[in-house]
Amino acid sequence: MPNTYDALIIGGGHNGLVHAAYLARAGKKVVVLEKRHLVGGAAVTEEIYPGFKFTEFSYVVSLLRPEIIRDLQLPKHGLTILPLPSTFTPLPNGDYLATWDDHDKTRREIARHSLKDAEAYDEYSRQMARMAMAVKPILGMIPPDPTALSPKDLFGLAKLGGHAASLSEKDFYNLAKLMTMSAADLLDEWFETEALKGTKSASGIIGTFLGPRSPGTAYVLLHHYMGEIDGVFRAWGFAKGGTGGISNAIANAARALGAEIRLNAPVAQIIVKNGRAVGVALESGEEIYAKYVSSSLDPKRTFLKLTDPKHLPADFVEAIRRYKIRGSSGKVNLALSGLPNFTALPGEGALHRGAISISPSVDYLERAYDDAKYGRFSRRPYIDCIIPSMIDPDMAPPGQHVMSCFVQYAPFAHEGGWDDAKREAFGDAVVDTLAEYAPNLKSLILYRQVLVPPDIERITGLTEGNIFAGELALHQLFFLRPVPGYTNYRTPIANLWQCGSGTHPGGGIMGASGRLAALELLKDWK
Amino acid sequence: MANIYDTIVIGAGHNGLTAAAYLAKAGQRVLVLERRSVVGGSVVTEEVWPGFRVDTVQHRGELRAEVVRELNLMQHGLPPTRVGGLCALQPDGDALTLSPDIPTSVQSIARFSKADAEKWPRFVKQMDLIAGFLKEVYAHTFPRVPKVDPAEAPVLAQLGLKLRGLGRKEMMEALRILPMSLTELLDEWFESDALKGAVGARGVHGLCQGSLSAGTALLLLHHWANSNGLFQSTVSGGVGQMTQALARAAQAYGAEIRTGAEVAQICVSDGRATGVRLASGDEIPARRVVSAADPRRTFLRLVGPLELDPEFVWAVQNIKLRGCVAKVHFALDSLPEFRGAAGRALHGTIVVAPSLLYLERAYDAAKYGGLSEQPYLEITIPSLTDPSLAPPGKHVMSVHVQYAAYRGETDDWRSEIERRVIATLSLYSPNLQSLISHLHVLTPRDLEREYALTEGNLYHGEMMLDQILFMRPVPGWSQYRTPIEGLWLCGPGVHPGGGVSGMPGRNAARQILKG
Repeated sequence: MPNTYDALIIGGGHNGLVHAAYLARAGKKVVVLEKRHLVGGAAVTEEIYPGFKFTEFSYVVSLLRPEIIRDLQLPKHGLTILPLPSTFTPLPNGDYLATWDDHDKTRREIARHSLKDAEAYDEYSRQMARMAMAVKPILGMIPPDPTALSPKDLFGLAKLGGHAASLSEKDFYNLAKLMTMSAADLLDEWFETEALKGTKSASGIIGTFLGPRSPGTAYVLLHHYMGEIDGVFRAWGFAKGGTGGISNAIANAARALGAEIRLNAPVAQIIVKNGRAVGVALESGEEIYAKYVSSSLDPKRTFLKLTDPKHLPADFVEAIRRYKIRGSSGKVNLALSGLPNFTALPGEGALHRGAISISPSVDYLERAYDDAKYGRFSRRPYIDCIIPSMIDPDMAPPGQHVMSCFVQYAPFAHEGGWDDAKREAFGDAVVDTLAEYAPNLKSLILYRQVLVPPDIERITGLTEGNIFAGELALHQLFFLRPVPGYTNYRTPIANLWQCGSGTHPGGGIMGASGRLAALELLKDWK
Repeated sequence: MANIYDTIVIGAGHNGLTAAAYLAKAGQRVLVLERRSVVGGSVVTEEVWPGFRVDTVQHRGELRAEVVRELNLMQHGLPPTRVGGLCALQPDGDALTLSPDIPTSVQSIARFSKADAEKWPRFVKQMDLIAGFLKEVYAHTFPRVPKVDPAEAPVLAQLGLKLRGLGRKEMMEALRILPMSLTELLDEWFESDALKGAVGARGVHGLCQGSLSAGTALLLLHHWANSNGLFQSTVSGGVGQMTQALARAAQAYGAEIRTGAEVAQICVSDGRATGVRLASGDEIPARRVVSAADPRRTFLRLVGPLELDPEFVWAVQNIKLRGCVAKVHFALDSLPEFRGAAGRALHGTIVVAPSLLYLERAYDAAKYGGLSEQPYLEITIPSLTDPSLAPPGKHVMSVHVQYAAYRGETDDWRSEIERRVIATLSLYSPNLQSLISHLHVLTPRDLEREYALTEGNLYHGEMMLDQILFMRPVPGWSQYRTPIEGLWLCGPGVHPGGGVSGMPGRNAARQILKG
């Protein structure tokens, strides 16, 4: 057989690349097939407008597992993470709420709004860090199947039980609550300042199709708390060169370890011969064979598009069909001739080097959700902005800037379907909303890129444009992700593996799925 | 003090009476104190207008078979309950009627969707299976986790085996379904809005969440476990007959019941409950105090924060009790006509919830502290099955109205609720308005004032994922005990939660007797 490999990885996103790097590191002959002209999947940086580099989709980094950074020596391969020190929330009443990298400054700032909240803030932060610590071991665990009685699964369950028992009762209960309650309820227990609750609960809705008052969102909030940079919890950062910089670093590491990466090589089908995956057929018709095939694509794409259903059990296909992967967010990337000037805190300042969040209250987010749940984009959306060029000057020409705006909600299934008019109306809603706080913004815009879920799906391949390759809903986590019985990265087809965010532990630029899948595959290697 | 009471039970609702009966049956000297002039709490039938007797708060439900059997309630005059059907009125003048008899339901569903009709038996089977597991869980004090008391390990093992007993696939389904939203669950099965609305309504019943909120499938299963699936029972003489029978049983076992005796304070000395002080000022000592009042009222009002650890107080303050239900009772000159439904179809529970989206829209208002313009309604006409509840030819009709958010209630709500309920009902029953002779509205605040339901929450605490099992009423205190030695809880605010099952009272009593 021509060009055969030990392992073939479908998709050159960060998980596919991490997976490939770990396999190559174990001495396997590996090839990564990426459909686009560049690696990264949803973690790419592209010069969409001359001189301006857009972090097109994902835009911050925090969840990337430190062990991956170590194992693959990513800094050596060009990974530099710059701190993203502050969060600035402008308010409709002309005031603002900010958290800075200076703890005392943050305390004073919150105290300006509520002494009680300033008091509670430290304890809240400590508890969330503790909870993140408590979940961390689970992120590194291969989910056992609680229904199976195999020694392996029983051991896994015992390990899980042991971990639970190792927690203090208080931590266990707090964790149980965090896993089940709503972000809004969680924050109501701690704070009274609407802007603080709004801004904090926002990270509980990212990538979900739920409002902050729906149970389950507290876990998503915690998921975003698991961010860790150089061992510092809840440190969010920006990768030099944008999130594409991360992908390139991982790709360089993989190449250095001997992995081959083929661009412009879209896979059309997974070739299955008598029950086992033996390779893939590219859209070009070329066939590539390998001992093992790993897909880093989302489960729906892998099993419903690239695999002939006749090779899969009917109830498995049904389960994959039921898998929830609704896209709910959009992205607006701006090329600016200057800096937006926020009336709440005029002039250039620290706020421009951090996150700017349009989340004045929990009700504001709920209203944004109300639009989406009835099939329309939010007229007044939640927006999370950063200005990469303020952190990494190479992102835009001198004196000019790029602004990345993550926007929720934008339902994939928009009433009457998405079209150019709706896309532009969505872009206008975002810019108009921002302009209420930074009136000069409109006059600064040189170029505007608007991405709605169908665009994200078309470009990155993420089904419905869901940024987590499957919602982080309670019934789609751990031993339920992506579907019961197939949470250990295996699939019903022999030698076909999954290594994307659709598997435990799920979304965000974490790389954990790719790594765990590789380690599991290597254990299994025959 | 030789004749000091072994136990004082605060509140003569169905759980207080159940606990009292079990304790008295075991030989304890028990006193039940009820602030109202009648026993029953929120399971009560009252003569609101001369000749009209009304189920004022809970208008459906039945006690668990264990309770009925173990307390010989039949001998104490508990009338036989009859399981009623579910009739879902539709805006187009049609009606979907579901009944415990599967072929009948299939027939009715088929008029809305052939595909759904085919799936119905399998759906019922699966829900029964999971609900059956919940019933098992509800029959025990939930073991303390994660550090399991060796004495309780067998219970945990038993439940574990029961769960495995469902079979691999079903066990996984159970784990998968519980945290889902009603919409996610029902969309996996059905296409008919009418069917999804009718079934889904039970999943938000009494809960300040919408059909799109995660965790609402849990409440559907909870109700499914407590009331033969979707099919609630009617009791001739009204639901109050259940608490009347419980009171007679308790008394027969030697318990004393005092009505019009409001407890103002639970007396505590050195961290131990020593008795209660009544609003009248009288103090009654007892070896043990068991409160059927909701946890927030029990700890923050009757005990008082000073006696408690601040972290515990914080947890109790954070119990979510967001009441969102109003009740409207009608005295009617004759039986109203309902478009698409007549005869026996009206004997069971009638529901206005034509789709899951209808439920979600109704919830939207409550989210911001408001009142649904078009509320979800659950209607009963008990005088159809028991004419004695109303003068000859006349009828009583009770309507459970959702959503009416306690936190947003204003003084004009009574008239607003009246207006919106009549307007909504009139879409389905054109001649209703002309038949109304009397009308009585209970707003969430009224429910709090009159029936001591904090924030008007029927279940003494929302039945949500973070407030069940070992987290009910608050994490670490799910075993009916409290930080105050000699003070116990026995209301729906503790495991296994709300409904008319009587299981919280039964489990609490059994736990107390274990000591």
